[in-house]
Amino acid sequence: MNDPGRQRYGKLRFLVIDDQPAARDGLRTCAQTMGAFSVEFSSGYKEAIARVRRAVPDVILCDYNLGEKRNGQHLLEEMRRDDLLPEESVFIMVTAEKAYENVVATVELGPDDYIIKPFSPDRLKFRLDRALTRKHFFRPLFAAKRERDFDAANAFIERHVDSEEGKPYRFDLMRQRAELRLAQGDAEGAQQAYRDILELHPFPWARAGLARTLLRQNRLAEARELVDGVVEQAPLYFEAFDLKAKICMEMGDHAEAQRTVEDASRRSVRNHARKRLLADVALRNGDAETARQAIADVLEIDVLGEPPSLADRLMLVRTHLEAGDTLAAEQAMQTILPVELETADLDDKTSHIALGVRLDGEGGAARFAARSAGMVAAELGLSASVDVVLAAIALGDADTARSVSWKLFEKGTIRPVFAQLREAFASGGLENDFRDMQKRAALERIASAKPGAEAPADAPVAQDTSAPQAAPEVDEGADAPQGVETPAAGERPAD
Amino acid sequence: MHSVLDLLTSGVHDAKNQLFIAESAVVRAEAEHGIALDDARFAIEHAARRLQRALTAYRCERELLALDVGMVHVPDLIDEAGLVSEAHLRQSGLTLDVACEQDLPPWAMDRELVLDVLSNALHNASRFARSRVRLSAVRDVDALVLSVEDDGPGFDTVDAAAMARRGLGLFVAREIARRHARNDTCGRLELDNGGALGGALFRLVLP
Repeated sequence: MNDPGRQRYGKLRFLVIDDQPAARDGLRTCAQTMGAFSVEFSSGYKEAIARVRRAVPDVILCDYNLGEKRNGQHLLEEMRRDDLLPEESVFIMVTAEKAYENVVATVELGPDDYIIKPFSPDRLKFRLDRALTRKHFFRPLFAAKRERDFDAANAFIERHVDSEEGKPYRFDLMRQRAELRLAQGDAEGAQQAYRDILELHPFPWARAGLARTLLRQNRLAEARELVDGVVEQAPLYFEAFDLKAKICMEMGDHAEAQRTVEDASRRSVRNHARKRLLADVALRNGDAETARQAIADVLEIDVLGEPPSLADRLMLVRTHLEAGDTLAAEQAMQTILPVELETADLDDKTSHIALGVRLDGEGGAARFAARSAGMVAAELGLSASVDVVLAAIALGDADTARSVSWKLFEKGTIRPVFAQLREAFASGGLENDFRDMQKRAALERIASAKPGAEAPADAPVAQDTSAPQAAPEVDEGADAPQGVETPAAGERPAD
Repeated sequence: MHSVLDLLTSGVHDAKNQLFIAESAVVRAEAEHGIALDDARFAIEHAARRLQRALTAYRCERELLALDVGMVHVPDLIDEAGLVSEAHLRQSGLTLDVACEQDLPPWAMDRELVLDVLSNALHNASRFARSRVRLSAVRDVDALVLSVEDDGPGFDTVDAAAMARRGLGLFVAREIARRHARNDTCGRLELDNGGALGGALFRLVLP
C-alpha cells in the first residue's frame, strides 16, 4: 500500500452521487480502496447541486440513473453550464448500461470518462488516473479560457497538438480548438477545425458544431441541411434540436422552429433552458398560448431554491400580453418589486418600462417618454428591442419604433423578429415605414458588397414582403455581431 | 409495451448492478481482512461480461447492434485490456506480454465493445497457453491490428466463420469487427496459427 497514487487520492475531495444506498456504498469502497480520504455523498440531483455549490469536489463519481426522471447527464450539463463545476474537476459517470456510451458518443458536453458496472477499484483507478493526468495537462488552457485570454488558449493548443506531451490528447486538442474558435467568433477557423474532426468520424456533436459555424456565417440553408441530418442521426441529442430551432428562426420558419423545440421538450422534461427557448420560439411564431404555458412551466420548476429570475417573469408578462390576457399580465407584473429593478440589467429594466406601457397607459406613457431617447441609444437585445417597438407603436411614437427597429436591420439581427415587427408596424398603420427601412437596408447591403462578391440571391427589394427571406442578409464574411449566432444571444442567457 | 430486447436489456442491467454490489462487498472484505480474493472478483466480472456478450449477440442477430464510436488512445486501450486480465492470467501461471506500437494516432472505435473482445480473446488464450500470452497493437497500412497470441496448440481450424459458430465470444468478436467500418472498408476478425509465440493468433483488424 505504498502506491504513490494513494497519496494523490488522499488529498482529493470525492463526491459520490447515487440514489441507491448499496451502490453508493460500493462506490465509496472503491474510492477508499484507491486511497481516497474525503468522500462525501449525495442521494440525488438537488442534494448534489447543493453540495457542489457549498464546496467544489475534485472528483465526482455519479451514477447515471438518479431516479425521478433525472439522470447524471442532466446533472453534468447543468453543473457545467452554470459554472458550478470548473473544468479542472473530474466527472466520471458510472452506469450498468452500455447505452450510456451512446450519450457520450453523441453530445457536446460529455463526462471526463464513464465506467460500466461491475468494475474493480483497479479499473476505476486506471480511468481516474488518466482523467486526472489529462486535467493536469490542460490546466493552463482551462485557466486561459476562464480569463477569456484567447491568445494564450490558442497558443497552448497549437503548441501541443503535435507535441510529444500532447500526443495522448491530440483528439481532445482538436476538439478544444474547434470550440475555442467558435467561442472567439472565428467561424471560418472553427469550420475548418470541425471538418478536421469529421475526417476521423462523423460525430453528431461535430456535425452540430459545423452547423453552428455555418449559422454564424449566415449560411442558413447549408446549416439547416446539416442539422436536419444530425437530428435524424441522433434523435436523443436534444441540443441539436435546439440548434435546429435557432436556425429555423433565423430563416423565418417559426412554425418548424416551434415543432422542433416542442418535440425535444416533450422528451426532455424539466429542462428549463429548453422551456425558455420554447417560450421564445412560440412567441415569435405567434402562438402566445404555448409561449405562456412554457414560461409558466419554467417558473413552476423548482429551480433549486433560487428565486425565479426577473427575465423569466418579464417573459411571463410579455406572453400574457400577447395572449390578450391583461389581467394575468398585471398580476405577473406585480410580482416584480422595485428593489429588484435596481440591480436589473439594462434589457430587463427597459422591458419592464416598455411592457408597463401596455398595462398602464398613462403612467406607463410618462415613464416611457422620459426614457425613450436612452432606449434608442442603448444596445438592446432582441426581446427588449421588440418590447420597445411595440410600446412605441402603442403610444404612437413612430420615431422611437423606427429608430429601434432600424438598429436591428443595421446589425443584421432582425430576422427572428422580422415578421413580428412587420405586423406591429402594420397594426399601427406604419406599413410604409417598415417597407422603407427594408429597402434601405437592402440598398446599403448592395452598396457595401465587396466588388466581385457573389450577388445576393434574393431581389434587393422584394415586392412580396411576406417572405422573411426578403429581410436583408448580413454580408457573408462581414464581421457578424455576436447576436447573430443565436437569436437569444442578445438577451439574457438562460441561467 | 416493451420489446423483448427492452426486457432483456433491463434484466441484464439489473444483474450487472447486483454484481457490482457483490464485487464491492468482496473488495470490502479484502480490505477488512487483509486478504486477496482475486478469484471471486474475476468470477463476478467474468459473469457480467458473459451476460453483456449474450445481449450483444442478440442485438447482432436482430441487426440491432449500433456502435458508439469515440476516439481512443490505443496505448490506454491495450493497458486496460491487460489490466482486466492480468491477475487471472497470473493465477493461471501465465505471463502476459504487452506491446503497443509507438505513435499510433487516436483511433475511432467502440471502446467498450473492443475491450470486451480483447478480454474474451485473452480469456480463451489463458485456457490453452502453456506459459505465455501476448497482447499487441500495431498499425498495418490503414488499419489498426489488435492481436492476442499464445504458445498453446493453436486453433484446430483457422476459418473464422466456422469458429464463430462454436462460441459466443468469437461470434460477437466477428460481428463487432465487421461493424467497424470506415469509408468502404469493414473491420475483420482473423484467426491463424503460428505467430510470434507459435500457438493461436487472434487478430482484430479495425480500419
